[in-house]
Amino acid sequence: MPKLPGKLFRVTVLLVAFGSLYLVALHKHAEREEIRKAAVALTPGCTEKLGRYGLTPGEQYESPYVAQRAAVRTVARGYSEEDVRAVQRGCNIVDDSQGTLASEPWRERWNAKRFIRGSHASCDHCHRGIGDLQDASGNRLPGSNSLAASWTMGDMYDRFTGLLLPYELRQMQCYINSSNGFKPNLADDVIRDVTAYSRFLSGALDLKIANHYEEQGIDEIPASATLKQGDDYIRGEALYKDKCQGCHGLQGLGLELNGQLIAPAVAGPNAWNLQSRNNFYFVSTILAGFICRNMPPGQENTLQHQDCRDVAFYISNLPRPAGDRQGPIAALQQQLFMAVMPPLLRLSGSSKAPPPPLEHASASTPEKVRVENAE
Amino acid sequence: MDPGDRHEERFGYAAIARAPRLTALAVIAAFLLWAHFASGIPVFHSDVSSERGWEKFRADYGIGHFGSDGQFVRAVQNGYNLFFHTYKYAPRFTRKSSADPVNSCAACHSPEDLAYSFVNSDRFDPRLGTRLSFEDRVRRCYVASVDGFVPTVFDPAVRDIRLLARAVAHHLQLSEGALRTEK
Repeated sequence: MPKLPGKLFRVTVLLVAFGSLYLVALHKHAEREEIRKAAVALTPGCTEKLGRYGLTPGEQYESPYVAQRAAVRTVARGYSEEDVRAVQRGCNIVDDSQGTLASEPWRERWNAKRFIRGSHASCDHCHRGIGDLQDASGNRLPGSNSLAASWTMGDMYDRFTGLLLPYELRQMQCYINSSNGFKPNLADDVIRDVTAYSRFLSGALDLKIANHYEEQGIDEIPASATLKQGDDYIRGEALYKDKCQGCHGLQGLGLELNGQLIAPAVAGPNAWNLQSRNNFYFVSTILAGFICRNMPPGQENTLQHQDCRDVAFYISNLPRPAGDRQGPIAALQQQLFMAVMPPLLRLSGSSKAPPPPLEHASASTPEKVRVENAE
Repeated sequence: MDPGDRHEERFGYAAIARAPRLTALAVIAAFLLWAHFASGIPVFHSDVSSERGWEKFRADYGIGHFGSDGQFVRAVQNGYNLFFHTYKYAPRFTRKSSADPVNSCAACHSPEDLAYSFVNSDRFDPRLGTRLSFEDRVRRCYVASVDGFVPTVFDPAVRDIRLLARAVAHHLQLSEGALRTEK
């Protein structure tokens, strides 16, 4: 009998603990529902993009882009107010994953930052043009890693994972590797809203399901697209110092001014990890393709293929975090490198000689291989 | 006891000790061979059973466009089996049997319905007050229309139906939010 009060006490504590957790869950669900119903403050980029594509609630949707470019009317199912808000939130997440432009990032971006390590990574850094890069005339650019084209090719065989990879799992891979972060739940609003935005883009551009489009993925640059002189660390370092260091810094750690990100890190704790497809040692062709296509800003497509491979090779040799499946020893080793290398390099950091002249293959007739699922 | 006896004794014990292990190994090997070649249970092999009508469906909807025997085509074929013979290929998720008149997705839907539903998914459903993905709709069908249980979104019973819908949508050249004009 004297044991009864003790048992009663323990049972009561357990019930109170579980009840409290249940109440917290209810509160969080209500909070999420409230955020879903709240008006969305768009980033300047999303205001322009979604305005140009005529995203408004309505029974039917007609794409101004298609009407203007193809001179045909395409009438599709319209978007409800809830759908419009989901698309807007998705656009915001792609444009500003870290929420630096938001007054309340944890509300306005579903706190996407909790799935990202470091303060630099954002979807828009790889999926440029908020996932839909176009030139001044509105032409979609080949190899621009378009989210719209990527959505239409979702569920297709992915040669890196060996899976029929759904679009949602691709997003997870981006969070884990390219953002060196954590995996959101498949049903998390962070994932679903970006899917909604990508689907809207594919509708606005009138892309057909499972068709292959030029703007999907990145123009890969294999060694066969060069004169096969080998990827050179020294040449890459000299080129990096000449072309990239001004923005990305001597150590590739990126550049921030007054809390604003000017250029993202390409090495160090804020960069992608060793298991990202951007890493030369995992896939040697993707980062080189991205560099040739997009860098340096204002001088895109000016670097030769071998230059891009050399720079990619050099960048991938700078210390960066280990991937989540590489185990604690690799993680420790990379952390050690990231802590020790920058001061050592700073001490010995004298500028190297300019790159030796290189007989290049013609840049205008490259052999390029397309990749369908670059992160 | 001389050393020879001890040796025989040891040898005898060792043989006796080995016998159950060998038997266990033989049983495991026999099970694996049976599972792979003779059981007919889909989870044990990568082939997909070819149901009646598949070859015509494959030709009609241009599924071969994705390759002769790729993962995608096999997944679509499994989706075809699930769609037309749900009670047979997803018995875990339905209480229906071959005797029931409504025992498959095809009893209510056509492949075209599926494709249009796919390109119109991830939209707000005013009746339910939430945005529904295609997978959510398939799961709801398992529960309600075929009187069964909810698969996870990762289950092939859901995933392969989505792949079937995607393949048909590709054949029809549908884009996001396509409206169905003919019935």
